[in-house]
Amino acid sequence: MALLKREEWQGFVRDVDWSYSYVDDSAVFPEWHCGTGKVPREAWSAWEEDYKVSYPEYVATQREKEASAYAVKSALQRSTTFDHLDEGWKSATKMHFGGVALVEYAAVLAELKMARFGLNGAWRNMATFGQLDELRHAQITTFFGHEFIGKDAQYDWTQKAFHTNDWVLISLRNLFDGMMIAPNVVDLAIELPLTFETGFTNLQFVALASDALESGDVNFANMISSIQTDEARHSQQGGPTLEILVEHDPVRAQWVIDKAFWGSARAFAALTGPAMDYYTPLEHRKQSYREFMEEWIIDQFVHTIEEYGLKKPWYWDEFMRGLDIWHHGLQMGLWYWRPTLWWRPKAGVSKDERAWLAEKYPNWEKVFGDKWDVLIDNVNANNLEATLPETLPWLCSTCHLPACNATQSRDGTWRVRDWSLQYDGRTYHFCTNGCRQIFWKDRDNVNHQTLIDRFLAGQIQPMDVGGILGYMGLTPDVMGDDPDYEAWTKDYVGRPVEGISLAAQS
Amino acid sequence: MANRSPRTQKTWSLLGDVRRKPSTYEVTAARFHYHFRKEPAPFELDPGMPLNLWYLKYREGSPFQVDDWEEFRDPYKLTYKDYVALQHDRETYLDLLIDTHEATSSVTRLDPAWVATLRELFVPLRFPLHVLQMTGLYVGQMAPSSFITNAAHFGAADEMRRVQRIAYWTKVLANAHGDELATTALARGAWENDPAWQPLRRACEQLLVTHDWGEAFAARNLAVKPALDALLNSQLADLARRNSDEFLALLFTEFGVDSQRSQDWSSALVRYALEHRPELREVLTGWLGAWQPRVVEATEPLAAIFATAPAAMATDDVIGAVREQHRAYLELCGL
Ligand SMILES: [Fe+2]
Ligand SMILES: [Fe+2]
Ligand SMILES: [Zn+2]
Repeated sequence: MALLKREEWQGFVRDVDWSYSYVDDSAVFPEWHCGTGKVPREAWSAWEEDYKVSYPEYVATQREKEASAYAVKSALQRSTTFDHLDEGWKSATKMHFGGVALVEYAAVLAELKMARFGLNGAWRNMATFGQLDELRHAQITTFFGHEFIGKDAQYDWTQKAFHTNDWVLISLRNLFDGMMIAPNVVDLAIELPLTFETGFTNLQFVALASDALESGDVNFANMISSIQTDEARHSQQGGPTLEILVEHDPVRAQWVIDKAFWGSARAFAALTGPAMDYYTPLEHRKQSYREFMEEWIIDQFVHTIEEYGLKKPWYWDEFMRGLDIWHHGLQMGLWYWRPTLWWRPKAGVSKDERAWLAEKYPNWEKVFGDKWDVLIDNVNANNLEATLPETLPWLCSTCHLPACNATQSRDGTWRVRDWSLQYDGRTYHFCTNGCRQIFWKDRDNVNHQTLIDRFLAGQIQPMDVGGILGYMGLTPDVMGDDPDYEAWTKDYVGRPVEGISLAAQS
Repeated sequence: MANRSPRTQKTWSLLGDVRRKPSTYEVTAARFHYHFRKEPAPFELDPGMPLNLWYLKYREGSPFQVDDWEEFRDPYKLTYKDYVALQHDRETYLDLLIDTHEATSSVTRLDPAWVATLRELFVPLRFPLHVLQMTGLYVGQMAPSSFITNAAHFGAADEMRRVQRIAYWTKVLANAHGDELATTALARGAWENDPAWQPLRRACEQLLVTHDWGEAFAARNLAVKPALDALLNSQLADLARRNSDEFLALLFTEFGVDSQRSQDWSSALVRYALEHRPELREVLTGWLGAWQPRVVEATEPLAAIFATAPAAMATDDVIGAVREQHRAYLELCGL
């Protein structure tokens, strides 16, 4: 063992800044990449992470982790587990592979940016490890996804998804390009490591791992839990950065957190929400999405921001109400526009499943039950046509997800509201008040055509479902469909129908 | 609509009709930069926002451009898994090397006059090497294919490795030969003020403001780094050996393994580019025309310190050896 402790020499490794004489400091560290803003430059010299690591320690632990993650995988290779997994669960994993694999690679660029433009040597070094970690995540995820292509073409979207104009991907790219690649490194460290990695990734990587184990998917659980063990190291770039920013510019710190939290919450409602409350087989569900959110995100997030002297975001009540609404509305949207997905979305509304939903979400029947009833009756009347889309949903100009959030009016009825605003001679529509407010505050960056805008501008041809699916990159072997209509409609066969479905039947 | 075709797919459909199943190295890097040459702008944000313009100018707009970068392969075909395994072995070797030298306290037997040379030539090294780390990361950040980005990442991490070992040994030297060796004032003072370091500092600062991805690659990987590596990994190692500093000789020789890997993929990339577009030779030689003189200027005053060591090496010999190594490398690149 080396005689010197890390503390005795690590100071030099971070002591690598000097005053430039041959070029302008602002050319080496352009403000819009570095984002010091109101923080005096010398304040960054106080940046220090809690948990330090050296290069030899890093390669030793990581080699070990890689060896065991791949060993578990090859041990499982010969088993038939995959063939026995529930289709709903498989869908949760396909969604994960396509939605996450290249986000991990976008995170590589995020880390690279902090490793180059961070205003402190210690920070740049931590991000140098961070970029290696994220490369690991991108590679292990694509490797695992690739193994399944031969069995199921939908796994091809592990790598393909981010190259397409599928609406889910436009939404995810917009979120993650905006959160990981575009911001200056100060905002980036607060949005990505602090808000996203110490909060939301726990939901997708820890909570979902428990569902995976329950569902018998040891392989997937092994992969995501191994990935999550890296977060503790590189996510600590958030804390020291926020500490310095809060001291000099608390208003900016609050806004950056608020925006990142909101964007993450919307995306998780679209993907993790349905995976947990609808795709995971009922008997394997540990908790509801709402319960997972409360346990893994909300308490911890509120605790963290209060610790730094910040407040709950201004939209907090709307967000909390959304926990009972957003992902259910999005689940219905995902299911309805199922040909646009690279997985097979389960409806998940058999009588037992509905009983579970109603128990976890007391308003569920009131807000969503009747709409599913129409779909159920159409399926039972052999009128699948009526359950398939003919056009596109209205997409939100901030989160690029369908504007399908019901809110309760004063008279007690639930209705999907349109939140809109005028800007630059145009009317923009939003799914929520929060999305509308964020757009307004950040209009120079987020102003970006939604799929609907492109459709209306004639960029998608022909202007029908076929043209739309082509634009989104969907091929017939991948297009999603319900894996088992009967599973959730048979409970209702023979019941009297009314309303729209009756009309459709006659 | 669930009209699934029965044919079994071997790999990512985006790779087209491939005859053989691609390697793990390939499936875990192919077409990962989903934003490269995306229309109307790389990132899914306002096409006119600054970051989109930055990438359009310095990546898509770089003169160093071929139709398809995706066929480039790092000759080592390193995945993350391979990289950490490889470097863990190398670091285990260095740990043993340090243990051996600490066990015999070899550092206490160094000639004080040699320590004086180290104080001038070795202690300030973390500054330029950290610049190679930063600029290596920038090259990776802007590269048009993940096969390039990943190789650049690993290289940048290698620089951090080198800085850490130098930091460690700086402290060992200070414990044996005086605390002053470990002070920031000494290291940064020399880097900022000692005339011998100024031309290298100038080149490093210029490297930090080179934003075009092609020029950043050429300036760093074809000009500054190979010359500095030749000076340190072989010439300084040689000088250390002559001055009975076996540890430092072996340490820098070990760093030479990383530098070799950097040169192997960089030269492969240049050959790839020239094969696809022979006219890129002018682009690269144009950049080298600007950078080579800076590099020559940067190494000369440092080479002069070699002549002041107790067991000295003639300045011209050092310069000649660096120049020769650099020339041979560029020849390997096909330049
Ligand atoms: Fe990650
Ligand atoms: Fe991460
Ligand atoms: Zn929205």
